[in-house]
Amino acid sequence: MITRRRLGQTAAAALAAPYLIRPADAQAASTLVVAATRTPGGFDGDALKPNTQNVVVQTYEGLTRYATRQSPDGRVRIDASRVEPHLAESWTSSPDGKTWVFKLRQGVKSFYGNELTSADVVWGWEKSLAQNRTGAFIARVSSVTKVEAVSRYEVKFTLSGPNAIFLRALTLYTPSIYDSTVMKQHVSADDPWALKWLDTNTAGFGAYHLQSLRAGQDAVFVANPNYFKGKPHFERVVYREVPSAANRLALIRAGQAQWTEELTQRQIVELQQDRRVRVEGEEGTGHASVRMNPRFEPFNDIRVRQAILFATDYDALNKSVFEGLGSQARSIVPPMIDGAFPDAWVFGTNIDKAKALLAEAGKPNLKITVEYSQIFFWEEQLCIQLRTQLARAGIELELKQITDADMRARTAPNRRDLPFFTFLDNPIVLDPIYALYLNAHSAGASNRNGYNNPQFDALIDQALIETDAAKRLQLARDAQRLHTTDATWLMTLYPGSFEAMAPNIRGWVWQPDLHERWVDLTVAR
Amino acid sequence: MSDDAAASSAPAPGSAPPRRRILLALGPPVRFLLRRLAMVTPILFGVLLFTFVLVRLGGQDPVVRLAGPTASVQQIEEVRAELGLDKPILMQFGIYVAKVAQGDLGRSWLNNRPVLADLRQRLPATLELLFLGVGLGALIGVPVGLTAAFGSGRAFDQISRIVSLFGFSIPTYWLGLIMIFVFFSLLGLAPAPMGRISLMAVEPPTVTGSYVIDSALARDPEALWSALGQLVLPVLCLAIVAAAPIIKQTRAIALDVLATDYVRFARASGLSRRDLRRIVLRNSLVPVITFIGAELAGLVGTSSLIELVFAWGGAGQYGLTAILEGDFTAVQGYVLYVTTFSLAIFIVVDLLVFLLEPRSRAS
Repeated sequence: MITRRRLGQTAAAALAAPYLIRPADAQAASTLVVAATRTPGGFDGDALKPNTQNVVVQTYEGLTRYATRQSPDGRVRIDASRVEPHLAESWTSSPDGKTWVFKLRQGVKSFYGNELTSADVVWGWEKSLAQNRTGAFIARVSSVTKVEAVSRYEVKFTLSGPNAIFLRALTLYTPSIYDSTVMKQHVSADDPWALKWLDTNTAGFGAYHLQSLRAGQDAVFVANPNYFKGKPHFERVVYREVPSAANRLALIRAGQAQWTEELTQRQIVELQQDRRVRVEGEEGTGHASVRMNPRFEPFNDIRVRQAILFATDYDALNKSVFEGLGSQARSIVPPMIDGAFPDAWVFGTNIDKAKALLAEAGKPNLKITVEYSQIFFWEEQLCIQLRTQLARAGIELELKQITDADMRARTAPNRRDLPFFTFLDNPIVLDPIYALYLNAHSAGASNRNGYNNPQFDALIDQALIETDAAKRLQLARDAQRLHTTDATWLMTLYPGSFEAMAPNIRGWVWQPDLHERWVDLTVAR
Repeated sequence: MSDDAAASSAPAPGSAPPRRRILLALGPPVRFLLRRLAMVTPILFGVLLFTFVLVRLGGQDPVVRLAGPTASVQQIEEVRAELGLDKPILMQFGIYVAKVAQGDLGRSWLNNRPVLADLRQRLPATLELLFLGVGLGALIGVPVGLTAAFGSGRAFDQISRIVSLFGFSIPTYWLGLIMIFVFFSLLGLAPAPMGRISLMAVEPPTVTGSYVIDSALARDPEALWSALGQLVLPVLCLAIVAAAPIIKQTRAIALDVLATDYVRFARASGLSRRDLRRIVLRNSLVPVITFIGAELAGLVGTSSLIELVFAWGGAGQYGLTAILEGDFTAVQGYVLYVTTFSLAIFIVVDLLVFLLEPRSRAS
């Protein structure tokens, strides 16, 4: 029976309880706590599950890597034009560019203590080719047909033709270089690549190693004690699942997490004013675009497409959607990649011109629908602004939200049936031809709006095998001119790539895959 | 809830020899339970079919996500075939039912782990939160509801109505965020909303899966303290949401009981307030318990939002993430778990009522 006294006691206990709880003690100095969107779904770079990419880049490293340089502001930045040795010490190539021999750095050891040999490189590439997923795609775009061991420390790559992307492709986390001695201990007849084991384990030569995983809670990584570049600053990284963005923000503010994932632009602006947090940013390579599929009415008419571009107010979008932090996009190739060509873009805001083009196309009162999802924070806000802007040119824009999965499915190569939609693609290899191929070639995996111009395809196909740098650059420019003029992309802005961290964290270097490397991070004294 | 059919099949007490009488006394609840259990299978089958179809008609297609951002048409189709999604939907359902019948809920597409293992691992976290939250809600709600009914129209009643209205209308997600803002960010009293135990505490060895019980068993005061601390905000949050309807319902039930002839008679006979309260409580108990049971089942969904806010890592968070990501097998497994849990709660409540309420047996 509940008595009044008991009720009183219960209520008092409930009220007093929060005051008795101490916040968790300050984290040990050598532990980095990352407030993550979720724990990784797996650790196989060839089968990307949610948040897999975020962590495999910490455990697997490439034969090469982008060179870095110190900027005047003291920050270290990637030099996209130069590739330098990493797990490989040096390399040679045949005059026809079809055969490359890499000499591996000696004494590189995995967490398990096994030394890196050519057999490890071969095993990883064979795994990727057998799986036929992400790694196989990288092999294809870099024309790799065969990888074989020449000696214990030498590995030979055979290419179907010369390929300018190849060395950059080797900077990627996949095809991964596994400690094949360990991997082979976990294979079975029906699982020859130990994929099951990879769901919850890592075996790389990178700076970190997965120590434990509690799905839905956290993944704990420890520094590889044998890492060839010396011990990383953080000995332990707790990758903690915090699904709510508001809480990730609260945690970084309270100093309970030193790094946080996926904040919105609004939150970034808030944090820029906050002394408890350090915000760093780069322009990045992903640009917020609204794409038009020329297979559908009325986007099959170039005048309609161009009218939409002329009717858009880019400055206003930057202010209202991107908090003024964005920079305008004028080509499908990001400015930070050598070979970006913005000069063909001539679509500054001009309502009269937009109206004239629509009248010419016989569509003075156009009614169109834009479909958007919630994959990117800016989608809905951008569409709302666009509705007002296009209305000034007599275009009535209807907004339709679809699910994230639907957006991905309907813009994938097997469907591509959205007429007008928002998206952002991020070329992971810093090369103009790669970006153009990926986003606009008829066979490109991210050509989501089904752009199909045989002339463009021919330029890219030619550039893929062109070895002369100047000629290749010209081909990239011609292709961009064609794509920009065809106006199938309403290119808006680069929202920028921002990271929020504890105020004493230093050393962040922007990476094309948008994931920080924990090994780069240190603590300022 | 009563079960008249089951009750009426019991012969009148007193007509059987003593030994048989015990059996008869035991008989109806067991028979009642069996009848309830017989209903479970068709319900579960219906839910299975419904979820299976709904998930597939929902416009979600996880295949593209799984195939990766660089996948070609052929690779996408390969992944689809790997998952068996290229087969006719009826065949897919047949395969799924056959597996479920063997206790295999399939593997999650997003983490490759068996769904059943994932749910089992996360269930203690959810149950701990749910039972404590609803339990606290009932501890607050029932006495407040009763007191409000006794003083109907007075100040306490008015205040409790406003408070329960607040609990009704407040979005759970928002309440969680506000509590974190106030108690963690602003006052610094609550621990970081990062799951069930502090990053600095060592997780106790798993016995029950509940950190509170396990750390108590392991005699680890630090882990116990940490686990209790992490529980306070989410449990309070759930309790507030749970208490509101319990207050309202208890008040309404108690008012009905207060208006009955036997209470009026008791009052007229000059029984003390204390005795009156006991009569009203005893007579309100059955509908109140039924309601709390329904609340417990109904709040499974709400608690998943709370889990998400507090990064609880329980089954609710698992289900919610699966729904958002289009992880079909995990969604199906989650819905099946919610259904089973709700059915179990209803059966327990029915059984309790059956045992508590003499009328349901003797009628």
